[in-house]
Amino acid sequence: MREMKIMLVDDEERFLSTTEKVLSRKGYDALTAASGTEALEKLKRHTIHVVILDVKMPGMDGIATLKEIKKLFPLVEVIMLTGHATVDSAVDGLKSGAIDYVMKPCDIDDLLEKAEEAFEKRQRLEEKIRMAQARTYMKSPRDILKQTEES
Amino acid sequence: MKQGDYKRLSLKILASMILVPVVPFVLVVFVSFHHFAGSLQSTTISSLIRIVDDHRRTIELFLTERKTDLQFVADSFGFDDLTRPALLQEVFRNLQKKSVAFVDLGIFDESGVHIAYSGPYELTGKVYREAEWFKEVIKKGYYVSDVFLGYRQVPHFVVALVKKDKDRAWVIRATIDTLLFNDIVEKARIGKTGESYILNKDGLFQTERRSGGGLMEKDTDGMANLLPHQGTRTFVEKDVAGETYLYATMWLKDNNWLLVVRQEKADAFKALRSATYMVILISILGGFTIVAMAFYMTNRIVTEMRRIDEEKSRLSQQLIVAGRLAEIGEMSAGFAHEINNPLQIIRAEQTLIETIVSEMKEQGELKESEEMEEIEDSLRQIRVQTDRCGGITQALLKFAREKETAPAAVDLKRFLPEVIGLVIRKADVEGIDVQQVVSDDIPLIQVDASQLQQVLVNLLNNAIYAIVEQHGAAGGKLEISAKAAGGRVEIAVTDNGCGISPENIEKIFAPFFTTKPVGRGTGLGLSVCYSIIEKMGGIFGVQSEEGRGATFTIHLPAEG
Repeated sequence: MREMKIMLVDDEERFLSTTEKVLSRKGYDALTAASGTEALEKLKRHTIHVVILDVKMPGMDGIATLKEIKKLFPLVEVIMLTGHATVDSAVDGLKSGAIDYVMKPCDIDDLLEKAEEAFEKRQRLEEKIRMAQARTYMKSPRDILKQTEES
Repeated sequence: MKQGDYKRLSLKILASMILVPVVPFVLVVFVSFHHFAGSLQSTTISSLIRIVDDHRRTIELFLTERKTDLQFVADSFGFDDLTRPALLQEVFRNLQKKSVAFVDLGIFDESGVHIAYSGPYELTGKVYREAEWFKEVIKKGYYVSDVFLGYRQVPHFVVALVKKDKDRAWVIRATIDTLLFNDIVEKARIGKTGESYILNKDGLFQTERRSGGGLMEKDTDGMANLLPHQGTRTFVEKDVAGETYLYATMWLKDNNWLLVVRQEKADAFKALRSATYMVILISILGGFTIVAMAFYMTNRIVTEMRRIDEEKSRLSQQLIVAGRLAEIGEMSAGFAHEINNPLQIIRAEQTLIETIVSEMKEQGELKESEEMEEIEDSLRQIRVQTDRCGGITQALLKFAREKETAPAAVDLKRFLPEVIGLVIRKADVEGIDVQQVVSDDIPLIQVDASQLQQVLVNLLNNAIYAIVEQHGAAGGKLEISAKAAGGRVEIAVTDNGCGISPENIEKIFAPFFTTKPVGRGTGLGLSVCYSIIEKMGGIFGVQSEEGRGATFTIHLPAEG
């Protein structure tokens, strides 16, 4: 199983740094981003499996960032982190493709649990994609050759 | 409005409610009384006038008849015949047959010597030349005397007539019985005191007066009577005794006799007196009715106004509360959100410390010790307290948020027992007698059942808490009732607990207001209930008397 890579997106610097420390101590590789734009920037450069995204941020807010992520990186799973118990914003997030939501203040273990679930789901998805591709390969080795030649 | 204002207002209403009907009432009573008195007086006077007129006619007819009688005798028989006593006697008897008023009959020559006489006295031969009547009859040819005594010393009056033959003139005279004449005049009777009589020019009675006044006596009352006048004259005058009389008078017999008809005013106005009593009685009864009605109506109006005012102030109070709660809701949503971020950081820091500590312990860098225990306990406390803060902010947000609800038809007959079932064990433990009264005709309501349950459980828990505060573990009473109330459903939760003080009752729906000890309540329960009921389109209300208990009422629109 591959290592899960998490990215935390929140405008609270201290939350980012502390959580990063906790996560690394727990053996996770975590990236942080202080804004939506920075998050998108980092997603382009790094392989990230799960993004934990604060709903309310200055500038590009959580929902907008989520939509952008889903557009550009459909396979990245996003968990919404909301300080607002207005379930509405969480529902908005879920409708826009987030896999889950967590209410602040939350326990980092809970967060990790949800992240793991999301990661597993993603793993399964990737597995399916790989299988599907493999089936194509197995269908006709000539085709594969053809494809290789073409590419 | 203040208590004093109501008193002033009710005085004002009372005054106008009494004055407005009393003024026309008094006017009606007095105007009709005045008219009645006036018409009574004019009716009395006109009846006096009629009597005077009738009498005048009767009297004049009587006198004319007597004159005609004499005329007939004088014309039918000559002087010589009539001076024969036997014939005179027969003529007199015939006259008496016609009218009993004739007392005697006599014939006189020009010089006033009584030639012949028929009657009860011995008057033949007496000379009347100097007598008043004789002079007058010679002068006028016909004369009716006043009442006088004459030779016989008995009051009487005479009717005399001069007959002129070719060679001589002679006089025929008849005496009229005053008693009989009296009867004719006196006949007029009106009421108790009505009477009629005749006076001569000098004010002497020519007929007797019932109320006193013999023949030929001087009438001491009403000297004004004797003023000369034409036709009938009416006036009001007091007599010597001070009694007021209504008078009607008329001159007769060439203005020699005055016919007087009079009646005591008090007697004539007897009907007026009973009318006066009636008026007084009606005034008292009417006045009493008006005053009683005024008091009753005023009381009703003021009570109704007070009720409306109270309703209004209660409504505006509710509006104020609702407005304040909406503000607080908005504020607390923002507030909760802002608090959640630092809470999240604290939580993260705490997790970091915990992680570090456990790693260090694993690596043997930290030894188990009492201090270590303290640190770990403290870390646990930080977690517990941030959780508590998180709970509060969650509740706050719940109060403020617009949660999507799932309304469905709820049958309170089934629903209420379920809700009560949730708290019945707790109530039993505290020795509380729980009653439920749900009327059979209660309509369905369209609400989110879980929300309504949350509200009711909250109210029931509060009630149990208040009962335990007041009674301990015995004597508590808790009643949940539901009934239809004009297109709405009223659910009431009544307890006999400690109640709510007037200054607290205004604040109980505000978030964070609680009277419970620290840690027992967040003060968010009722505010959340309030906002839930508000969003259901209902009205949440409370009534309480401190120390006696409280009633929370929920009005919800009935389905359909």
